[in-house]
Parts: sequence; C-alpha cells; structure tokens
Amino acid sequence: MAPDDKGALFPAEGGVRERVIAFLQKAISQGCFDAVLMPAKAPGTDSFAYSLIGDGQLLKNAYPLPPVMSVQGAKAISSLTRSGKGKKKIAALIRPCELRATVELFKLGQVDLENIWLISIDCPGALPLAEWAKDPKKAEDAFAEILKGGPSESIRPICQICDKFSTTGAEDLHIGVPGKEASGILLIPNSPKGEAILDCLGIAAGEDISGWKDQVDKLTGARVEKKRQAQKELEAKSKGLDKLLDTFSKCINCHNCMRVCPICYCRQCFFESDNMQFSFEDYLKRAEAAGGLRLPPDTLLFHIGRMLHMSLSCVSCGACEDACPTAIPVAQVFSLVGNRNQEAFDYIPGRSRDEPPPLRVYQEEEFEEVEQSHAAVPAKQEARDG
Amino acid sequence: MGEGFTPRIVGFLCNWCSYAGADLAGAAKLEIPASLSVIRVMCSGRVDPVLVATALLQGADGVLIAGCHPGDCHYREGNYYARRRFALLKKTLETLGLDTERLMLAWVSASEGQRFGEVANQFAGQIMELGPNPMKTKISL
Repeated sequence: MAPDDKGALFPAEGGVRERVIAFLQKAISQGCFDAVLMPAKAPGTDSFAYSLIGDGQLLKNAYPLPPVMSVQGAKAISSLTRSGKGKKKIAALIRPCELRATVELFKLGQVDLENIWLISIDCPGALPLAEWAKDPKKAEDAFAEILKGGPSESIRPICQICDKFSTTGAEDLHIGVPGKEASGILLIPNSPKGEAILDCLGIAAGEDISGWKDQVDKLTGARVEKKRQAQKELEAKSKGLDKLLDTFSKCINCHNCMRVCPICYCRQCFFESDNMQFSFEDYLKRAEAAGGLRLPPDTLLFHIGRMLHMSLSCVSCGACEDACPTAIPVAQVFSLVGNRNQEAFDYIPGRSRDEPPPLRVYQEEEFEEVEQSHAAVPAKQEARDG
Repeated sequence: MGEGFTPRIVGFLCNWCSYAGADLAGAAKLEIPASLSVIRVMCSGRVDPVLVATALLQGADGVLIAGCHPGDCHYREGNYYARRRFALLKKTLETLGLDTERLMLAWVSASEGQRFGEVANQFAGQIMELGPNPMKTKISL
C-alpha cells in the first residue's frame, strides 16, 4: 500500500504554503494540469473556501493548509463532478481525510476521478471552526505557529488522535513536508498519474525519503496510542443507554452533522423522509409508555441510524463536530463506532480505490458467530404430512 | 422478571423461506408466541439495520431476522448480505453499550416449520428473561 521509499525533492523556499504554491505554479505553467481545486482565501475576507483556480497568479490566495476545514474537500470534488467528468485536468489538493472521503465517494459512485488528480499533503490538523469564527485573525496566527512546528494542543480533538494524517496510499501524489532544514517539499508519486506529474515537471523520484518517513511513522505511533487512550475515556463517558442519551441530549435536530458529512451523500435522507413520520396515536402510545416523549422524537435514532449507514466509510474528518451548534462530540463518537466497525470488517476507508465497501461483498463462511446456531435449535426435517 | 410482562417481538421474515416456514408452523398447529409481530420482507438482505434500530428504539423488546439458509437464498446471495448487515448492527450496538441480546438472526427454510417454532419460542424465552426493553421508559429518546 505504502509508496516506495522514493520521492522527488521539489526545490522551493519559504514556509510550507509558499513551497506548495511554487510547485503548483510551475505545474500549471508547464501544463501538467489545467487548474487546481484547493482552499483559498476569498479576496478581502478572512474566509477560506474551496476554489477552482486556473490562473497561476491567482494561486497567491491559495492556502494548501488553511487553519480550518470549512468545507470537506470530498464534497467540493463531488459537486464539481456530479454530472460527470470535465475535459480539463484538475488537480485537487486536499487533506488526507478529505482524500480518503473522496475515495469512499468514488467507490459509492459519487465522484468521477478520471480527470482529477488527487494530491494530499501532510496535515497538521485543523482548528475548531467555532474557535476560528470567534477571531479569524488570531486563529490564523495561532495556526501559523502550528505549521512551523509549534505546540498543537489547540487543534480539534479529532485531529489530535488522527493517525492517518499523511500518505494514505490512494492518492496520485502526496506532498511530504520534511523537516525545516530541507530545501523544498517532497513529491511522492503513488500512481501512474502521479508519476506523470513528475515527468511533466522534469524531476525524477530519486530522493531518499526515509528521513521524512521515520518522522511520519514516529508521530503515527504516538497518535495511535493517544487515540487508544482517548477512545477509552470516551467509552467511559458515553457507553450505555443513559450515558448515550446524556451525550446526545443537547441535540437540537438541526441535522447539520448529516449535511456536512462527506459520506452522507443521499439526496433525501431516510431520517427526513416520510418513513420517519408516525401517527399522532403512535407518538401518544410511546409517550404513555415512557411518561412523556421528547419532540421531535427519535433524536438518538437519527444518530445511531447515521452510524449504521455511514460508519464503515467514516474517515474521522470531524466535519460533523465542527458543524454541531451545541458542541456534542459527534465526530469522536462516530469515529469510535466507525473504527470498531471497520476493524470488524478489516476495512480502512479510503485506503484503496479497489477495495469494495464491506456491505457490497460477502464471503460464504464468515460472521457465523452472529447467527443463531443450529446446535442451540436443532433443525429437524419435518414430515410433510405431519 | 417477566411477571405480567408480554414481550413485543418484531420478526422480519423472508418471503421465500422463513415466512413459509412460519406458515407451515401455523398449519401444523405448533405453538408460536403470540408476542411475535411478523413483517414479511422479500429477502433478509433487504433488512436495513436502521429498520431494526427503529424497532428497538421505539420500544420493541426483541427483533428477529430470519431468512433462507446460507446457499439457499432465493436471490442466491441476499442472506449473505443480511449477515454482514446484521454483524454491523451488532457491532455498533455493542460499541455503544446497548443490548445485543435483543437481536436474533436465524436461518429457517420453508420446510422447517418445527424449527421456526423452536426459534421463535427460544427467542421469546430469551426476551422474557431479559425483561422489558428499557428504551420504552426513556422520555428523551
């Protein structure tokens, strides 16, 4: 899965942002691709949004790693290719979690990647959207320090336990950010399309990248441990019916978490359909049994239902948590459930474009432990005339 | 437990095997728990875990899913998908710390009226022992 231990050093100066922009400018000017889809600052504002940029000069507004994830990149790509591929070659520069979500959407038939070049970049995490909205300038300065390698306690909780912040294996090209002493950025191709970019730039993937790789592996190890710890604490806080109800009791039924989720691509959500509308008598019956009923009802069912529908593809990007107006740790709970479900099916969402989603395939002999065994209830052949 | 408690059990039965098996159990006048409400589905593979979660969270005491034996699916492979979906459901509830004992996935063929009766009675007994679904009493669900 992992790319070979070879990459190309693209020589450039300045911070990460300047180096990446230099690479993209060169690639556009050489015609490696026609345009870039990446976060950029809207002129005259503090806001970041995905932008389709064809002009090398306009790249000056681009931010490969903005302080926040305002829109999940997979959603941007999906909106671009919803009605099929275009004729132009587009390079999409997105965070690894956005890339993994894109790969999931690809498998679900929601994006067309034929003319899209997927490029990911080592991600330091993102700040909580709400924190940034309070004071964008301050957040930007704080994030600049994180990009320089400063302490990262202020990044979102879900980012702090992210162990897939670097190459995922499914991108065309990965941008590795080596240590400060390096004189550029690493371009690590992971597909023929990625190799074509290097050819187009006229640089060879001859650089030894083991130093960068060691750095990534070390942080991955630390994150895996941190995640294990954090999930243990989360389980203690939210496991069981009462604690679960507590956790989601602040939910205001806005369904923002579903709307911003890259995996929730359904045009009509089951939970907003008539299937979830019940009769007055039905509600009354439930209210009588419980001594009352929260309205609108089925708040917990919405969240559990969403877990059942999308957790196998959940990439723990945190968009849901950012969008929650009442600060429910949605992403952390979903990520926990997602991880456990993914482990059960030996599946890592976004790891490979060829790996089918677990519910689309089966093996004849598996999961026998979930069935009612024949030993418990012996099957008896019944006499037809009995 | 169980004093004056009549469990409500929802049974999703596949049209081709388990529903016919239940029918045969009825024709043979076998005793089937009256608490079982049957929903006929064309295939066990159609049972979206969300339907099961809906039944449970809205107060069903147990949910039974029954389909053709592996290899015998009328649509060749629907029950294999059903098993994966069920495994996902169980794992999810388990991670959330919710009761997975209130769920059962069983294979019952069209000729196994006897087995259907045994599965249904065994499951009803299991639910009797568990007692009422606590979700029924939660106002803020």
